Amino acid sequence: MSEEESPRVAIGISFGNSYSSIAHTTPEGKAEVIANEEGDRQIPSILSYVEGEEFQGTQAKAQLVRNSKNTVAYFRDFIGQNFKSIDPTPCHQSAHPIEHENTIAFKIKDTEAEEENIVSISEITTRHIKKLVASASDFLGKPVTAAVVTVPTNFSDVQKHALKQAAEAAGVEILQFIAEPVAAVLAYDARSTAEIKDKVIVVADLGGTRSDVAVIASRGGMYSILATAHDYDFSGSHLDTVLVDHFAKEFLKKHKSASDPRLNARSLAKLKLESEAVKKALSLGASANFSVESLSDGLDFTATVNRSRYDLLASKVFAGFTRLVLGAVGKADLDPLDIAEIVLAGGTSHTPKIATALQNAFPESTSVLAPATSVTALNPSELAARGAAIQASLVAEFETEDVEQSTHPVVTVTPHLATAIGVLCLSSNESQARFSLLVDRATPVPVRRTKVFPTPREGGDVLVRLVEAVAEIKITAPAPRTKNRDEQDVDGEEESESEESEEEEEHRELVWRPTKTIAEAAVRGVKKGGRVEVQVNVGAGLECSLLVREVGGKGGVRGEVRGR
Amino acid sequence: MATGVKELPLPVLPDSWTAEKDFKAIGTLSDPVQRNIEPVGPHFLAHARRKRHKRTFSEDDR
Ligand SMILES: Nc1ncnc2c1ncn2[C@@H]1O[C@H](COP(=O)(O)OP(=O)(O)OP(=O)(O)O)[C@@H](O)[C@H]1O
Ligand SMILES: [Mg+2]
Repeated sequence: MSEEESPRVAIGISFGNSYSSIAHTTPEGKAEVIANEEGDRQIPSILSYVEGEEFQGTQAKAQLVRNSKNTVAYFRDFIGQNFKSIDPTPCHQSAHPIEHENTIAFKIKDTEAEEENIVSISEITTRHIKKLVASASDFLGKPVTAAVVTVPTNFSDVQKHALKQAAEAAGVEILQFIAEPVAAVLAYDARSTAEIKDKVIVVADLGGTRSDVAVIASRGGMYSILATAHDYDFSGSHLDTVLVDHFAKEFLKKHKSASDPRLNARSLAKLKLESEAVKKALSLGASANFSVESLSDGLDFTATVNRSRYDLLASKVFAGFTRLVLGAVGKADLDPLDIAEIVLAGGTSHTPKIATALQNAFPESTSVLAPATSVTALNPSELAARGAAIQASLVAEFETEDVEQSTHPVVTVTPHLATAIGVLCLSSNESQARFSLLVDRATPVPVRRTKVFPTPREGGDVLVRLVEAVAEIKITAPAPRTKNRDEQDVDGEEESESEESEEEEEHRELVWRPTKTIAEAAVRGVKKGGRVEVQVNVGAGLECSLLVREVGGKGGVRGEVRGR
Repeated sequence: MATGVKELPLPVLPDSWTAEKDFKAIGTLSDPVQRNIEPVGPHFLAHARRKRHKRTFSEDDR
């Protein structure tokens, strides 16, 4: 049909429970988040109806104070679910989800008429997507027809299907769903300065109503998820609550006979909105002002909070984030030393203390990519949308069927190496062999890797021994302190803890232990100062070929090892 | 993917070492683990292309 003839206009959409973002790629291939008509790049995922008029985003969010019953918020996770399996808690201060014909709906006044209508979750989603896409079309000056949309790693196929249909009803073809943490990694890897290296990355996506962690093996620019963790008890809204409680108490301290603003719906809504704004301001400045007119009993209230106070008040929530990340690393059977990078994504990741706490919980070799800990960090609120836009630009020209085929398990489910492969080299003291990595574990096959090695001083004949090896943690006890050991023993542990703990800490490092020899090859007559190139090629059946040759020399030795 | 990082040298071949065509297969690689590669990014698309057309890396290089 002629449908295929007009080219698609595809964008990236990040659709969260709290905020949504739309992004496109520029003609130069750079991903960019689009601001809507109100100038927002983080658009609250909220719809509100006032006398039949529909509002979205920041305007709709403001309606939580006066018109909460006709304001629908925090609904993304309800898509494709049945009523019994959802947690409606985030909707306490807005339209409540109800059970309706095997699905979830909201009872709202969305027309000028007096009576309320039952609007299904898929209809709400359609309306939200319509607005997002209209903003993008407006910006691009042409109608957007397709999108890549990010979803959490635990979004089910049923949920994806429901979301796809809701988008279709909005006139948007969802080309592909991609996992939120993978989109974040892609946003980083697509930068022109990025070099593609094998590494394990942890993505901590700290949002408004949930926090999600994924441990991802990045191998030659391909991503495999090793473990995930999800949490609904530590998230941005819990930080809001910390400030809500703080300011409510301060208010009551000042106005002893006033009623608690947390007990009145409208006061609580104001308190929440302003606390969120204060929280965001504290990510940038050392202090922030809280100011609400007629907070409770007609009394205005202003107050100031500084960052150190906030960090203290919120320390339990911050500790929860660190625990969640460490837990996910453990779930992947890895050690913090295995983690090269922590990508902090989601709005809550702007919080400086969360980033520095993670940096302290991980070794120095782990870089924490967040505004507070890295000058090159990207905006955590934009990562998912940017990644989706990049993927959209990659697949926009594909036939729908081609995208479906490429994302099918037949193509994506792949054998991965269980154990790292490398060659044995001489260490500096020449009596011990040292493993040099060629292909790391968790690398999908087929894979080909090449590395160049120096040879012993006089050249001559050298041995290439291909081995498997496992990484282990070597713990070195702290050097015993020389002065006054006896005295120290008497005082016991207390002293060693209160003193400079840095010095007392054991030293942990990753070391390779070769476990199995796979093959050996000789390179003969290498000239003095010559170098040897080693190439391994592992096939889909784990058959492996080894090619070794002197750099610049001719021939070389090639051999095959059978597969499994 | 040749890297320029400073590597340790390869060991000298022991005098007693011999093999036909200077190569010895000694063991096989350990059993793999089946995992899902995320269908995202330019490198995955190259992988999918190789897999669907049953091509090797060197065929892909051409
Ligand atoms: N600069 C900032 N400093 C601190 N917190 C921020 C900042 N910007 C946004 N946030 C918080 O981040 C949270 C929203 O995160 P995000 O934009 O990732 O939403 P989301 O993915 O829709 O969330 P979820 O689906 O978990 O509800 C909110 O709690 C918001 O207050
Ligand atoms: Mg999110």
